[in-house]
Order: sequence, then structure tokens, then C-alpha cells
Amino acid sequence: MPNNTDEKNTATTLPWFGIPRLLPFLKPYLPEMAVMVFLGSMVSFVDSMIPLFNRYALNNFVAKGTVKGIGYFALVYAVTLLVKLVMDFTSAFMCGDIEMSVDRDLRNAAFNHLQELSFSYFNQNNVGYIHARVMSDTGKIGMMCAWRMMDIVWNGSYIIFVLVVMLTVNVRLAMYIIALIPIAILLVIYFQKHLIVLNRKIRELNSTITGNFNEGITGAKAIKTLVVEDKIQEDFMEDTEKYRKSAVHATHFSAMFTASVTMLSSCALALVLWRGGKITMEGVMEIGTLSVFLSYALGILEPIQNIIVTLSELIAVQVNVERFTRLLNQESDVADSPEVIEKYGDTFNPKKENWEDLVGDVEFKDVSFHYPDGTEYVLEHFNLKVPQGSNVAIVGETGAGKSTLVNLVCRFYEPTMGQVLIDGKDARERSQLWLHSNIGYVLQTPHLFSGTVRDNLKYGNPSATDDEIWKALKLVSADTIVERMDKGLDSDVGEGGDMLSTGEKQLLSFARAILADPRILVLDEATSSIDTVTEKAIQDAISVVIKGRTSFMIAHRLSTVVDADFILVVKDGKIIERGTHKELMKNIGGYYHQLFSRQFEEMEVRAAL
Amino acid sequence: MKNNNERFLTKISMVLFFLKGSKALFMFGVIFSMMVAFLDMINPKIIQYTVDYLIGDSQSAMPFYMQMIVNITGGRDYLRAHIAAIACVVVFIALICAIFRYLNKILNSMAAEKLICRMRDILFEHISHLPFAWHSENHTGDIIQRCTSDVDTIKNFLSEQLTALFRIVIMIGLGLTFMIQIDLKLSLISAAFIPVIVLYSLFFHNKIGSAFENADVEEGKLSAIAQENLTGVRVVRAFGREKFERERFEKKNTEYTKMWVHLMKLLAAFWTSNDMISGMQGMTVLVAGSVFCVQGRITVGELIAFVAYNAMISWPVRLLGRVISEMSKAGVSIDRLRYIMNSEVEQDEEDAYEPPLDKDIEFKNVSFAYENGTAEILRDVSFKVEAGKTVGVLGGTGSGKSTLMYLLDRLYNLPEGNGSITIGGVDIHKIKMHYLRENIGFVLQEPFLFSRTIFENIGITSKSAKMEDVRKAAKMASLDETIKNFDEGYDTFVGERGVTLSGGQKQRTAIAQMLVSNPPIMIFDDSLSAVDTETDAKIRAALDKHAGQATTIIISHRITTLMHADHIIVLSHGKLVEEGTHDELVKNNGLYRKIYDIQIQGGGEGIA
Repeated sequence: MPNNTDEKNTATTLPWFGIPRLLPFLKPYLPEMAVMVFLGSMVSFVDSMIPLFNRYALNNFVAKGTVKGIGYFALVYAVTLLVKLVMDFTSAFMCGDIEMSVDRDLRNAAFNHLQELSFSYFNQNNVGYIHARVMSDTGKIGMMCAWRMMDIVWNGSYIIFVLVVMLTVNVRLAMYIIALIPIAILLVIYFQKHLIVLNRKIRELNSTITGNFNEGITGAKAIKTLVVEDKIQEDFMEDTEKYRKSAVHATHFSAMFTASVTMLSSCALALVLWRGGKITMEGVMEIGTLSVFLSYALGILEPIQNIIVTLSELIAVQVNVERFTRLLNQESDVADSPEVIEKYGDTFNPKKENWEDLVGDVEFKDVSFHYPDGTEYVLEHFNLKVPQGSNVAIVGETGAGKSTLVNLVCRFYEPTMGQVLIDGKDARERSQLWLHSNIGYVLQTPHLFSGTVRDNLKYGNPSATDDEIWKALKLVSADTIVERMDKGLDSDVGEGGDMLSTGEKQLLSFARAILADPRILVLDEATSSIDTVTEKAIQDAISVVIKGRTSFMIAHRLSTVVDADFILVVKDGKIIERGTHKELMKNIGGYYHQLFSRQFEEMEVRAAL
Repeated sequence: MKNNNERFLTKISMVLFFLKGSKALFMFGVIFSMMVAFLDMINPKIIQYTVDYLIGDSQSAMPFYMQMIVNITGGRDYLRAHIAAIACVVVFIALICAIFRYLNKILNSMAAEKLICRMRDILFEHISHLPFAWHSENHTGDIIQRCTSDVDTIKNFLSEQLTALFRIVIMIGLGLTFMIQIDLKLSLISAAFIPVIVLYSLFFHNKIGSAFENADVEEGKLSAIAQENLTGVRVVRAFGREKFERERFEKKNTEYTKMWVHLMKLLAAFWTSNDMISGMQGMTVLVAGSVFCVQGRITVGELIAFVAYNAMISWPVRLLGRVISEMSKAGVSIDRLRYIMNSEVEQDEEDAYEPPLDKDIEFKNVSFAYENGTAEILRDVSFKVEAGKTVGVLGGTGSGKSTLMYLLDRLYNLPEGNGSITIGGVDIHKIKMHYLRENIGFVLQEPFLFSRTIFENIGITSKSAKMEDVRKAAKMASLDETIKNFDEGYDTFVGERGVTLSGGQKQRTAIAQMLVSNPPIMIFDDSLSAVDTETDAKIRAALDKHAGQATTIIISHRITTLMHADHIIVLSHGKLVEEGTHDELVKNNGLYRKIYDIQIQGGGEGIA
């Protein structure tokens, strides 16, 4: 399956960190964000003022040798701290609130958009990839919109305030510190560049190791029976050693990084001590002012480091923004026209009062079709009339493209040319939801949702009563399965229904389809290993379910094929033979005849004995 | 379960075992971190003396190392004239400090990475040698979590928290010492805040821990809804339940968000209030210090130094509570790993040997029940597989067919007194386990492919598989054609990061995998169920030709797959109910006949 992951993990650069693309999601929170930014910068303002309190104390009490007014001073100091506490709390809380709210809105938007995307999208992207768009990209973007912004506000305004204060207090001394800033910036950029690459490599190696553990544990049976413990261990140790080397290498860089930044801070300190000490000795500057500069010299480099690291993180999030917006901009290959939506409503707001009843006549009229990700036509000028209540079987080898017709009937895909008519009208003239509400679908690999048996059975018909449920269960002889369970209909089926066997899941999904009482039924028979008795039960269930409905069946069992009103034989994605069983069997040497006789040849020979 | 012979009786004994080879590195790392802490503490001292001696005129006793610095750099008068020399000293100390800081970090990282590497290797090896019964008793997700996040927790505990604890204690200790040297009373005022901050932070981190766990659980639920929606997208669409799905997701999403917002509120309250307490400490020190200074108790330089020390210890103090509360979590993780390490690995009996295995296999009165299950899976099963012959096994789901084969391959051990399984008269427990398994080619019902190339997968059992052997095996398993259709042929990567193979293709790969090693005993556990009938027949024909001498056991639901076997046994609910050749069994009118009828009936009418 081709995976749409053309973008590697390399950082993409979007204008303004991709924020313009996210603007619709940020809009509701802009006022709150403005308050947050204001309060955040005020917090930094107070932080940058704290050394000035020291200066005041040194210059006004210590230097003058008096404690007059120190009570008042303490009060102002305490009130400042209290004000800071309030602002700090409010802005931090707002930041968290914005992060989570944006996060939530993005997740909802992604999830809702996915509900309307066509099948070609799901066929081209695996579940893990899509899931990461919904769950992890959104989290990272939320974090970026709130905390990364806040980091920039905090650190940026701190730097600005400190620079302003320094320049006001003593321009010459301030220039010494300012001169060091470009060096700091270059240093941080140099190391950060390397660290991003190294850390990405470490993360990749780490997930390889987790994958290895997964393989070693889920594959225990295979590893033991094949006696390949040593071989697997060797490969595993190679990976852990690679990880160790990379991790130490990365630490080498990050340790050099911290060491040199702190070293630079000390240089700033030395510089202030030297030049500042000199002018203080000369009596040009007060001792309190010197202490202010000493604090700033030690304190200004960290915010600079922070701001650059934050910027590099912002750049790293670009990939997520890019992928997320690509998902939202992904257009559905199958979409209802505005007129149809006007009349029948959309996926989330159906206008059921305008819905017509579906009878069940299906017609393919001169249909040509190729999949969106391919160019080769799998259907060409195909015509087929399926009157209400008839039963169409589709046979052929695994992977021969048997599901194409079914996908067209369900309008999971639309014909490239020609029309699919439902009750004589083009399927595109009615809404997807209308069609889907009238279709029942039983999958080859039955899919149940975690929850109770009842939840699952009512999935296609939320208003079904328990009586109806039991009736449906009896029809497919699945009632014994549910009776055997601890809590009957309230029993939990486990995640994806994994508390049940495949055969049981299959029978329950038949019951689910019956409850929905669809006019058109699509069945994809199971090929998985089910013992003969269960298989019989499923076959009986099928014959009950299809009675009176238009049905399309992707068949593997010949018994179901034989009774079909119409059989389509598929090979290499194309329909090569069609007709009833009797008609097809007359074509001796034909593909269907071959397929059919081979399975029974051996049995017949033996049975004749 | 196995308390009597636990390998690691205490947490410490296991941690020490893991620490082998990295202890010394950790220790050197800690020593350098202490030196860094000490050197960091010198700067405020230098500032203090610069202010007092050089800029001001106050006199106070100098500790020996300050005198040393002064003397080396040329004495007080020289320094007054050349204040740049002091700056040089500061830079010089900073340089040494930077080197130590680097050494501390790199040594610590070397130790930590060595530790985690060793932990992972040991765990992986141990787990792969644990009996299969252990694997089926324990949940995969849980074991993986122990091997990843618990390992990380322990690594962080040892390399970060424990070393941080050392550093914090040293920093606080040194800081307080320097502060006390300046003024005891002022130090007491400052120190009075320490227990408040530590306890507050300890209390908070303990409390918030469970809130974080709850949020994780909620996230898991939300994530599962999305996952199920995506995997079940066909069902959702076919039943037209998009709206329902949307509402369900939005509801859970809102709950989850609310939970986090609440958590954020708590966190914000904690951070900011803790910040406030530290700020108050700074203010109190400044005010009281100024008063003392005016009173003449301390000099201006001392006040500046004191304020600097106070600021220096404020961060370690705030960290202390957090470190302590996180350390308590490590204990839980250690116990979780101890559970794995204390489970017993599979071992051969002392007198186990390697007899030839191309002999008759005999099951005698075999009964078996799984440890956690109550029902007996096998009841008194006896039959014989003659060397070089083919035996078919038929039975419904849960009839015990697979279990029978697991016992033969010793994935589970047959307890004493439950009958015996012998090969050439030798009890399989007397045969070396790896030797036994190497000689039994077992194609599993649900084949497992490794995330490697197809070539590597097929040739995995041999040290250096040759292309021709692999291709030959693939041809026999009717797989060669399929592989050639892949873009990269035999170099195609399978699994998550590569091509997804269909069930039938996987089964055929597993068959090819077994054929490469050409074992004297072959087991097919329903191995052709996902292969279409045509291919099934082709493969069996190829096998018949190839496996002339191998003893073969085939399990299947399909009569057509079994009918050519030399001997067929029929299992029902753990009991052997019928045996014989196909013809005998069909005449018998038993279970075999019944299943045969159902299977043949499907097409019977049509053909007639």
C-alpha cells in the first residue's frame, strides 16, 4: 500500500511559522491571547526590575547608613511580588487553557474532516499515519500556539527590559554586555543545529528498539519454533549499541553547549567586574548599580539561549503544521453537490424528511472506472441491471479486485465515466448518507467497536429494542453466543471485539446488518480459518440475511455462488465472465469452470469410490 | 509463584547487577559535579572581596583559598591598580568550571547509556529465553511498557535524579556554609524558607502524580476512539454513523480537555506560588541584610555575596521536592522489572542429549490443561506417527489440535504423570530443547514475519542463507512468482515499514522458511487456510515430491488437504475420537464423515 509520506522528517519552513494557516483556529482565542501576552510581558518586566530593588537597598540604605523607610520599601517589594504572582498565574493558566482549547478544536476539525473523506484517502494512507495527524500533530501545534509563544514573550520582553534598564543606568557598561550577545547567539545556533539532527536520530533509534521489543515479544512463538533467539539477540544488541553511541555523541554536543554558554556568562561577569569595578572605584558609579549589572550579566544570557531554542522548536513544528493543514485541505473524491446537500442535508445534518424510500434496483450504465491512484481501467463500458431482491455473486482469486463493484455500489468511489443508478436515478443525485443508511455491509474481517454487544448490534439502528435484537440474533443463530456470555447483551466485547472469536464476530456482524434492515446488502465472505461447523452456521446466516434484499456478495464458498442469480467472474481486476452458474458451467474450459471444478475434483473422485 | 529461587531478592541487588560496568563512571561524574558546584560558589566570594577590599575599605578575614588567589595574582595593592587581573581570575575559574561541567555531563551520559544498553540487552535476552507459557500469560503491551518506559524511569532515576540529589545537597550545603560564614543570623532567616519550599513541592508533586495518570488514561481512551473509527471506517460509512462518531469523539475530547485545563490550573498555581515563596525569601534576605549592613554586622560586599548565594540555592531547593517525589516512582519500576528478571528461563535437563530424530513419534496417554485454564484441553490422547509418513489431524476449534503440536515442540511442557511424548523411544524432555526445535519445522497457524526483507525472512534459520536455496524453497511454496512481482523482489521489506503481505502470502513465506532448513519432522498447523484451493494443491504436490523422507503432521479443516495422508486422526473436545485412512474414516460414518458431507455438499447439487 503506497503511503503518502512523501515528506521526510526534515524541517519545512513556512512563512511566519505557519501561523497564518492556523489563524481560523486561533481566532476565537485572540482576545485571550492578547491578555496573556500582555500579562506575560508584565511578569518579565517585574522580573527584570528585581535587581533594581537590590540597587535601591544598597544605594539608599546601606550606602547612606540608614534604615529609614525600609519598612515601606519591604511593603512595596512584597506588593510587587504579589502583583507578579497574580499576573503570572493568570497568564500561565490562560496559556494552558489556550493550548488545550486549540488542541481540542484542531482534533475535532481533523476527526470531522476524516468522516467525510473518501475511501481513496484511507486506501493511500495507513491508519497509524492518519491517527498521528489527529492525535499527535494537534498536540504539538497546540503547544506551539500557546507555550512556545509564551516562551518568546517571556524571554523576549525580559531581554528588552533588561537592555533598556542597563542602557538607562550606564550606557558604557551596557555596551560591554551587548557586545557579548551576538557571540552567544552564534554559539546557540551552532550547537542547536547539530543537536536537532542528533536528537532526531536518537528518537528514530529509540523507536527501532521499541519495535524490536515488540517483535521479540509478539513473535515469541515464531522465534522459539525457529530457534533464532541468538540471531535476533545479536541484531538487537547492534541496535542498542548504535543508540548508546549516538546518545553519548549527542551529550558531547549538549555538554559543550552548556559549558560554553555558562562560560560566556562568566566572561560577562568578569567584564562587568573589571570595567564596572574601575568606575565604581573612581566614584563615577554607585555600588548598588554595580550589583545590578552583575546580576544582569549573569542573567541575560539564559533568556537568549531560551529564545533561540524556542525558535528552533518552532521550526521543528512546521512539519506538523504542514501535515495537519494538508489533511484539512484534502478534498474528498466523493462529495455531494450543493444541490444535493440543499435537498437531502449533509453528513452531519441530514434532512431526513426529504429522503425517498430506497427500493433496491441497481444498474450499472456504461460504467468505466479506474482507481484515483492508478490509470489502468478496471471496468470499461460495463453494463449490468440488478433488479430489486436479486443476488449477485462476485468470484475470483484473492487480490483480483473483487471489491471494485461493491465500492461503486456503496459509492465509496464514483465511476470515472458512466453512471450507477439506484432506483433508476444516478447515485450522485442523492446524498451519500441516504444511500449508506439503506446499505448493510458485512466485512470479510468483521469490525466491532469496543463496548457492549448491545452497542455494537444497535450501531446500524440505534432505536432497536432488545426484542428486535434477540430476533435478529436468532435469525443468524448467534443467540447462543450471546446467551453464553456473562452479562448477555451487556457483555463487553473488548477492544475491536477481541474477546470474541472471528466466527463469533462474523455472526454478530450479520445480526448487526439485519437490525439495520437495509435494502441493499453487501457481503464480503471470510476466508479465515473457521471450523466446518461454524462455517455452516455462517452459510445458513447468509441465506437468511439476503432473502428479499438486493445483495452483492464477494464469495469464496462455492455453495453461495451456485444459488446466486448472477455471477461475475473477476481476474486481474477485470470481469472476464458473467452469467448464472448453469450458463457459466456450460463454457467448459472457461475460467469459472476451471475454478469450480478444481475445488471439487478431488472430492468427486473420492466420493465416487 | 516461584518464590523459592528468585534471582533478585531485593531491589538493590538487581540495580547493582544492572549497574555493572557503569558504576565507576557514575561516581566520577558525581565528583566532577561537586567540583562544579564548589567553583560556582567561588564567584560571589570574589565579587564580595572585590567590593570590600578593593572598591571599599572594609577589612575582614579571608579564607585560605581567597588569600591564595590574591597572593598568586600579585597581592592586594597590585590588584587595586590592576582590577583586570580579578576579571582574569573569574574567567580562569570559569574555564576550569566549564571543563569540569563538560566532564561531569559526558561521564554521566556515558554511564547512563552504558546502563540502559545493558538493561535492554539483558531484558531482551532474558525474555526471549522465558518459556512460551510465560509469554502467553503476560500481556504484550504490559511487557513492552516495562521494557521501555520502566527502563527509562530507572535510567533517569540513577543518572538524573540520584546524581541531581547529590549535586543539590552539595550545592545547598556549600551555599549555606558560605552564607553562615558571612552571617549566621541572616543564614537562619534564609534557611527557614527551605523546608517550606521543599515540603510544599513534595506535597504538590505527590498529589499531581495521580492527576497525570488519570489524564494519560483519558488520552488513551480518546486515542482508542480515533483508532477504532479509522480502522472501522467502512462500517462507519456503510451504516451512515458519521454523526454519531463525531458526537462521541467530541464528547470525549471535551472531557479530556477539561481534565487537562484543570491540571494546567494546578500546575500554574504551583509554579507561580512557589516562585512567589522564593521571591519572598529573596526580599526578606535583602531587607534584613540591608538592616544588618547599616548596623555594621556585615559589609556591602558580604551583602552582595549573600544575596547571590541565596539566589544560587533557591533553584536547587525548589528542585529537591520534585526529585524526591520522582524517586519514589522509580521503586515501582524496579519491581516491575524484577518481576521479569525473576521469572525462570527454559532449561534443558542435565542429562539431555541429541539423539537422531528421523524416528517414530509416539503420543502416549497425553492429557493437558493450561495453567490458567480450568478445562482440560487434551484427554488421554495416544497415537503414533511412523517415521517418514504423513499424519493428518482434523478437529474443530478448541479441539486441542494445536496444543498437541505445541507439546511436541515443547512450547509447553507436558507435566509428569500426564502421559508421554517420545521420538524414537526417547522422551522429548530428555532431548536438548534447541536441538529438538531445530529439527522440527513448525509452520504456525498465524505466521509471524520479521520486519526484514523477504529474503532474510525465508533464510532466517540459517546463518548464511544462499539465494538459490531461498528461491528453491519459495518456488516450492508457490511464492516465487508473487515475490518477483514486487518492485524490489526478494529485497522487499515486509511488515510495518514495508509491504503488507496477505494472509496467504504470509503462510507461504512461513512454509518456504521451514523448507530452507529441511528438517526431518515437519508440522503444518492449518498452514494453508488462507491460500486458495488451487495454490493449496500445488504446494502439497511440491511438498510430496520434496519431503519424501520427512515425518509430516498436517492439521487442517479441509478434508481435501488431509485426505491423502497415510493416517488421519480426528480430535473432538480434546479426545481422539477416530483414526484411520480417509477411506476407512468415510466408511465409518463418524465425525469425519459428517464434516466430509458438509464440505462436499456445498457443490454437490450443482455438479450433479
